[in-house]
Amino acid sequence: MSEERFLELLIGPQHPGSGHMKITAEMDGDIIVGFEPNIGYVHRAVEKIAETKTYMQIIPLVERPALPDTANHNLGYTLALEKLLGIEAPPRAQYLRTLLAEINRIHSHLYGIGIHGIFIGSSTMFMWAFADREPWMELAQQLTGARLTYSYMIPGGVRRNLPEGFKDNALKATRYMERRLKDYDKLFVHNPVTVARLRDVGILKKNLAARIGVVGPTLRASGISYDVRKIEPYCAYPHLDFDVVVREEGDSHARLLVRVEEILQSIRIIRQVLDEVPDGPVFLESYIKLLSPKIREEAEKTQIMRFPATFAALKPPKGEATSRVEAARGEVFYYIVSDGSPQPYRFRMVTPSFRNVVAFKYALLGRRLADIPAVYGSLDYFPPEADR
Amino acid sequence: MDIIQFLLDLLFSEAVFVPLIFPGLLTLTVVIVVIIWFERKLAAKVQLRYGPLYVFKPLGGIVQLVADLVKFLFAELIVPKGADKRAFLLSPVILFTFSVAPVVAIPLSSGYAAVKSDLTLLIVPALLTLAPIFVLILGWSSDNKFSFIGGLREGYMMMAYETTMFVAVLAMAVTYSSLSLIDIAGKQSNGLWGIVLNPLAAFAFFVAMLMTTARFPFDVTEAESEIVIGPYTEYSGIYFGLCLGASYAKLYVLSLFFAVVFLGGWNPLIWPLNLNPILPGVAVLVKAFLVMLFCVFLRSVYPRFRIDQALQLGWHKLLALSVASVVLALVLIGLGFEVG
Repeated sequence: MSEERFLELLIGPQHPGSGHMKITAEMDGDIIVGFEPNIGYVHRAVEKIAETKTYMQIIPLVERPALPDTANHNLGYTLALEKLLGIEAPPRAQYLRTLLAEINRIHSHLYGIGIHGIFIGSSTMFMWAFADREPWMELAQQLTGARLTYSYMIPGGVRRNLPEGFKDNALKATRYMERRLKDYDKLFVHNPVTVARLRDVGILKKNLAARIGVVGPTLRASGISYDVRKIEPYCAYPHLDFDVVVREEGDSHARLLVRVEEILQSIRIIRQVLDEVPDGPVFLESYIKLLSPKIREEAEKTQIMRFPATFAALKPPKGEATSRVEAARGEVFYYIVSDGSPQPYRFRMVTPSFRNVVAFKYALLGRRLADIPAVYGSLDYFPPEADR
Repeated sequence: MDIIQFLLDLLFSEAVFVPLIFPGLLTLTVVIVVIIWFERKLAAKVQLRYGPLYVFKPLGGIVQLVADLVKFLFAELIVPKGADKRAFLLSPVILFTFSVAPVVAIPLSSGYAAVKSDLTLLIVPALLTLAPIFVLILGWSSDNKFSFIGGLREGYMMMAYETTMFVAVLAMAVTYSSLSLIDIAGKQSNGLWGIVLNPLAAFAFFVAMLMTTARFPFDVTEAESEIVIGPYTEYSGIYFGLCLGASYAKLYVLSLFFAVVFLGGWNPLIWPLNLNPILPGVAVLVKAFLVMLFCVFLRSVYPRFRIDQALQLGWHKLLALSVASVVLALVLIGLGFEVG
């Protein structure tokens, strides 16, 4: 026993700072010499379950792993399915999809900032960020009828048209958010203690970040301008003007700042979408014809499509399709193989948290015990999303 | 009737009244209840919440902590298998005792003090230094790695802040040329408070005070997201309550000390206060309460430092600052500046 030099510290899964994950940290005094994130505690076999569900039932299913970021996962799956079906949603639906995706990105980033705050001890930032998700969830509720699990995007379009008065409420929310971001800056983002805790902590250098394949804000904070919305534009993004937020430092503070600035970019996108959204149908004409006359009439009158049960037995042609979407935490990838039956033959989703979890091992070596929550929060790692 | 008179005399004798009633245990309990309520209400106000509300609604949930204490009392006390039982059970009690003990050395007025000594300025910090040792012991005895790390952190912090605190106290001793708290408070009756005379010492002492009581941004010993709740991780029930209470008791004692040394003590001695030798203590208590309020308010403003950053601040900046405060005091004396 006398030869044991390192202290093996087991953090989690029952620990206030671990999330649904077990971390094995080898400590040399206060210095981390080994770090092993052990994931899988909230694995729910989403991919396997998907093989037993019909294509429409998978829409709510893919939202479950990433609850703060449901719209982007929903969008990714729908785009892959549409490729398989060989259809494309009408332009208005494309804009509405972008709108919800950006609303979701904002409140997902707020979630990440809040968790980062409480991890380094700022309970105020936690409460503020979580309270300020409220206007965005209210907006989403107006648009979709749900606060978190929207299931808004369906193959062929979206379920609901833009409601009355939505634009005013959305503009109000954007102005409120801009004001609040200034408060955040004073209290948390550039608080001297926060800066001391985060600057030069958990650095991921440019080439390392590229080599280990991290995605999303984590990658962009390391100086690599990679954003699926620009590289492989989908929905309304090619028509919109926005910047990819990139920072060179690659430390925890840079990752926080990228997230804060992306909220501003999302606000910019939302304003453009509200101004430029074209008129027209929100659901594919050829699909509307398939609906029963009663549902069609109702949908025309209320502008709300009841979840089209007609498509319960949707059978895409044989083949395979992939899609990539920039979710809040990074690129999410879907792969569907269809054998012509109502269920997919194989379903695969690669989530951003799963690709970012490896960054723990590199960012934390040689750092101190107290840096674990600081880096954890900065990666905005969400265990259920990684475990699926 | 003689017996009643005897009991009353006993009750109001300094040796009983000070440690047990005011500013001792009874007042301490009330102050802890109120200050924790204030802490939570203040934080809630900043954080757009209500805070405690439902326990005795007419007063905004002020007795929330009493309800919590009752809950603590009825909760099972779990002793971990590998724990050193005697140390595990005794150290919270001793920790709490030593955190409250220094209160006896704090005078309430020029004629009312439990410890009649010329060295009270030294007795208070000296008694306080005993408490952290028991945090180390209870962290060690819990047989838990997080408790152990928390205990060690407390040890490191103790070394960082105690030096600063003592040097700052020394600066005040030089400034007033006295080691008696009664003298020191008396010398501030001209309105020239310690914080004006030697702001460096006051600031150094205040930050050291935040460090010793684990207030934000120096919450490193109890850092929740890192080491659960530090040395107290394995405690449950009323023993956990004692551990948490000890840190507030320490804050209370240090705030009283701060009020006497830096904030003029019971001065100015205005009308209702000069009727009775105990009443000036109310002024001290009110000042101390405001100091405590400021300390707990910092929770809603700052995140927490890392341990090495807190230590660096303690050793590099604060120590230098407190040494500078001694120099300042010497300069004041050298210039022939007579205090009081």
